[in-house]
Amino acid sequence: MKYLSVLLMLSMSLMGASPEVEQYMKELLSAAKAENKSFTGFDAARGKEIFISTHIGKQGKPMSCTTCHTVNLGNSGKNSLTGKVIEPLSPRVNPQRLTRVKEVKKWLKRNFVDVYAREGTAQEKGDVLTYIQKN
Amino acid sequence: MKKIWNISLAVALFVGGVYVYADEDEREHARPMQSKPLSKQDQSAAALYKKECSACHMAYQPEFLPKRSWDKTMKGLDNHFGTDATMDLADTSTVQNYLMTYASKNERITDMKGAVALRISQTPHFVREHREVTKKMITQPAVKSIANCNACHTKAEAGSYREREINIPNHGRWE
Ligand code: HEC
Ligand code: HEC
Ligand code: HEC
Repeated sequence: MKYLSVLLMLSMSLMGASPEVEQYMKELLSAAKAENKSFTGFDAARGKEIFISTHIGKQGKPMSCTTCHTVNLGNSGKNSLTGKVIEPLSPRVNPQRLTRVKEVKKWLKRNFVDVYAREGTAQEKGDVLTYIQKN
Repeated sequence: MKKIWNISLAVALFVGGVYVYADEDEREHARPMQSKPLSKQDQSAAALYKKECSACHMAYQPEFLPKRSWDKTMKGLDNHFGTDATMDLADTSTVQNYLMTYASKNERITDMKGAVALRISQTPHFVREHREVTKKMITQPAVKSIANCNACHTKAEAGSYREREINIPNHGRWE
């Protein structure tokens, strides 16, 4: 029993997500399948592209997720609009990350709009969360 | 002029806050708030305000702007100074109620002659108080914007703006 729970905790910390966020990922998975018949699963490489590529954002200026979070998710970032420091996004470095669905949903909505001038699709959100979980 | 700010701040109720007032000969004092204890509900609204509205900058004290300003801010979070600051409906209304309760009731410091100020830093009284602050002090990277109150007012987050607590990066104390 003891080993099992240790193992469970270990694998949870490796996944870098809480049960409620894992549940949210499952919901995104079914939504992505419904959006796109040829969808086969989330992909960290596509997620990385979503994270590092530059787009014309809400303010009509080039913007990317890395503008605030930097390319290294283990490092602190800085809000490009206000200058306020942002703690690392990586759940490995910052165990608070990706533990609360409410926070994840709120920030993905805001941040996709800032960078892409629209909300993310279920597939995009799942891909980018998969990328963040693995970094 | 100074006194008007201080009085409006002293009237404010803020959890654990310390506010400033100046007496006739402009000596400054701090005194703990003689506030009635906040109800459980008010405490959790204050905590929510603090968490949500300090994610991108410090949580400004509601006492700096009148109700009409906060009302407009809370209805426009989808385009909040060029960024999306929306949150769910329940949290939006809790934060809005909190801001409305503690908003400034002092027309003299917030009057915009019919216009609605979204920025504290736009209000005529604020502009007057900061007239000696140079552009260079503000635009330097360590400050970046006049909206970063806490870059110069070292106790701003606790609601205290006394002159002796001012320390402008690469310039020093104000006194
Ligand atoms: C304008 C600056 C900015 C940009 C651009 C930005 N973010 Fe964020 N992001 C933030 C801030 C601020 C937070 C919350 C800060 C905190 O919790 O410390 C945040 C939080 C998050 C979180 C929440 C993690 C958690 O569980 O706490 C995720 C996920 C996230 N961002 C992903 C993204 C993605 C994906 C993009 C690109 C589409 C992006 N961000 C672009 C500023 C930004
Ligand atoms: C997603 C990021 C974000 C969140 C969350 C956010 N703000 Fe802002 N806020 C900004 C930006 C960006 C500015 C413009 C900063 C500048 O000009 O330097 C700003 C500026 C302001 C100003 C004007 C400051 C001045 O006097 O110049 C006020 C007032 C304000 N915000 C109130 C709020 C309130 C109330 C909340 C909570 C409901 C909130 N903000 C949440 C990003 C945010
Ligand atoms: C670049 C530095 C700087 C920034 C940023 C700044 N201030 Fe100030 N502030 C000053 C200085 C300097 C004074 C003193 C002016 C004087 O006494 O001549 C002052 C005075 C004040 C006073 C009057 C205090 C008194 O003694 O009565 C208040 C209130 C105040 N600031 C609030 C704010 C708020 C709120 C913000 C953010 C929205 C802000 N300040 C941003 C530098 C700054």
